Amino acid sequence: MIELASLTDGMCVALMEAASDAMVCVAADGRVVQVNAQAERLFGYEREELIGQPVEILVPDTARAVHPGYRAGYIADPRHRPMGAGGPLAGRRRDASTFPAEISLSAIDTDEGILIAAAIRDVTAQLRARDLERSSQSLESFIYSVSHDLRAPLRALSGYSGALLEDYGEILGAEGRGYAERIAAASEQMGQLIDYLLQVSRISRAELRLQPVDLGEEAARIAEELQRREPGRHVCFTIAKHVQALADRRLIRTVLQNLLDNAWKFTSGRDDASIEFGTAPSGDAALCCYVRDNGAGFDPAYADKLFQPFQRLHAARDFPATGTGTGLASVRQIVERHGGQAWAESAVGAGATFYFTLDGKETA
Amino acid sequence: MTSQTIVLVEDNPDDEALTLRAFEKSNIRNKVVVLRDGAEALAYLFPDNGDGAPRPGLILLDLNLPKVGGLEVLRRMQTDERTRLIPVVVLTSSKLDEDILDSYRSGANAYVRKPVKFSDFAEAVRALGVFWLLLNEPAPSPAPESD
Repeated sequence: MIELASLTDGMCVALMEAASDAMVCVAADGRVVQVNAQAERLFGYEREELIGQPVEILVPDTARAVHPGYRAGYIADPRHRPMGAGGPLAGRRRDASTFPAEISLSAIDTDEGILIAAAIRDVTAQLRARDLERSSQSLESFIYSVSHDLRAPLRALSGYSGALLEDYGEILGAEGRGYAERIAAASEQMGQLIDYLLQVSRISRAELRLQPVDLGEEAARIAEELQRREPGRHVCFTIAKHVQALADRRLIRTVLQNLLDNAWKFTSGRDDASIEFGTAPSGDAALCCYVRDNGAGFDPAYADKLFQPFQRLHAARDFPATGTGTGLASVRQIVERHGGQAWAESAVGAGATFYFTLDGKETA
Repeated sequence: MTSQTIVLVEDNPDDEALTLRAFEKSNIRNKVVVLRDGAEALAYLFPDNGDGAPRPGLILLDLNLPKVGGLEVLRRMQTDERTRLIPVVVLTSSKLDEDILDSYRSGANAYVRKPVKFSDFAEAVRALGVFWLLLNEPAPSPAPESD
C-alpha cells in the first residue's frame, strides 16, 4: 500500500469530502488509496475495507476481467477525460448489485508515481428520467397517429349513415331513420373526441415560444369577434388594458378564447350579461388573470371536475349545444405548460370566475 | 360544368365511394378517373408512349398512399412541363403543419382536410368541384414544342 502524505493530509481529504461525487483514488498498481464518504455510501463499503483493495472490486463482474487493461491504457495516456468510450458504465456495490454510472478520470502526479482519481456518479435517476421522457414522447406520437388513423373509418361511419338517410330515408321509416341518425351523431361525437386527443398531443408536443404578449389586447380582440358573431346579444365587456405576459402567443390565445367563449355561452340567458377580464394578486406567480361572468355559474362541488376532459360530454344529452367539454381541459394543459395553474370559483346562478396564473416574468 | 376529367388519387375505398357520391349529388357529371396509389397516378400522368399524356382539369390527391406517396407525385408533376400547371388539391386526413407546408412547397394549389362529418365532407367535395372546374380559369395548354 502506498502511503502518500499529500493524500492523507487533512486538507486533501477535506477536498475529497467536499466533492458531490463519489471519489476513489487509485494507485498505478490498481489498489485503492483513498475514498470519500460519498464513495462509502455509494458502494456500501467502509473506508477501511476499500483502502488497499484492487479497484476491480468496485467493477461489475462482467467488466472485471477487462478493467486492468483499460487501467493500464489510461496510465499510458493519462488525460482528464470521461470514461466509457466503450459503452455504458456501471459500478458494483458491496452486495454485488450494480448501478449505471458516469465516471471521469484525472491523473495526479506524485512522488510515489501516478495516482488516478475517479469521480463516480450514480445516474440511475437521470436514466430513468430519460426513459420516461422517451416513452412519453413515443406515447404522444402514438396518440397522434392512432387518432389520425381513427378518422378514416369514422368518415365512413358518418358518411354511410348520412348517405343511408339521404338516399333511403323513406324506406327506412321513422325508427330506421332514428337509428341511422344515432350512428351519425355518435360518429360526430367520436370525431370531437379524436380532435381533442389530437389537440392534447399537439399542445404537449408543441415547443413553447415565449414572447411578450398583451393579454388585454388579445382578450379585447376575442370579445370583438364574439360580439360580431352574435350582434343581437348585448354583453358588457370590461377588459383590463396592458396585461403584459411572457407566453406562447398561439397557446395563450387558445386559453383566452376558451374562457371567453365559455363566459359568452353561459351568460346567454341574461339581458344584463357582463364579462370581465382582469388581473388579481398573483402571489408567487408572475401574473394572475381572471375571466369573470355573471352567467349561469356552476356548483362549486364540481369546480375541479370542470377541468377534466370530456366532463361536458357526459352531459351532452342535457346540454347538446355546449360544446365538446374539452375547452377547460386545454386551458389547464396550456397554463400548466407555462408553469401556471388554472382554477375556478362559482356558485349556482351567481356567475363564475376562472383564474389562471403564469410563471413567465412580467415584461412590463 | 365543363367536360374536363377529374382525377381522384385515393386508396381508401370508403373515401372513394363517398367522394364519387358527393360529385354525383352535386350534379358534377365530369368523368372521374380513380387511381389507388401514387404509382398508378404517375403511370396515368406519364404514360410510356409520352405523347398522349392526359391533362385532367383537377387532381384530388391523398398524401398517405401505397407505393408512391402524394408528395412524391406532386414533386414529379412539378418537374414536367406537361403536368406542372394541372390544379392539384391535396385532400387528406392529415392536419400536420409539416404536411401542409410540404404540400404547398411541392406545388399543391390547395390543401383540404377531409371532414369527418358526412354533410361537411359532401359540401367540401362539391365546393372543390365547383371552384376548380367552373369558377377557376385554368392555365392555357402549353404551346406545342416546335422543332
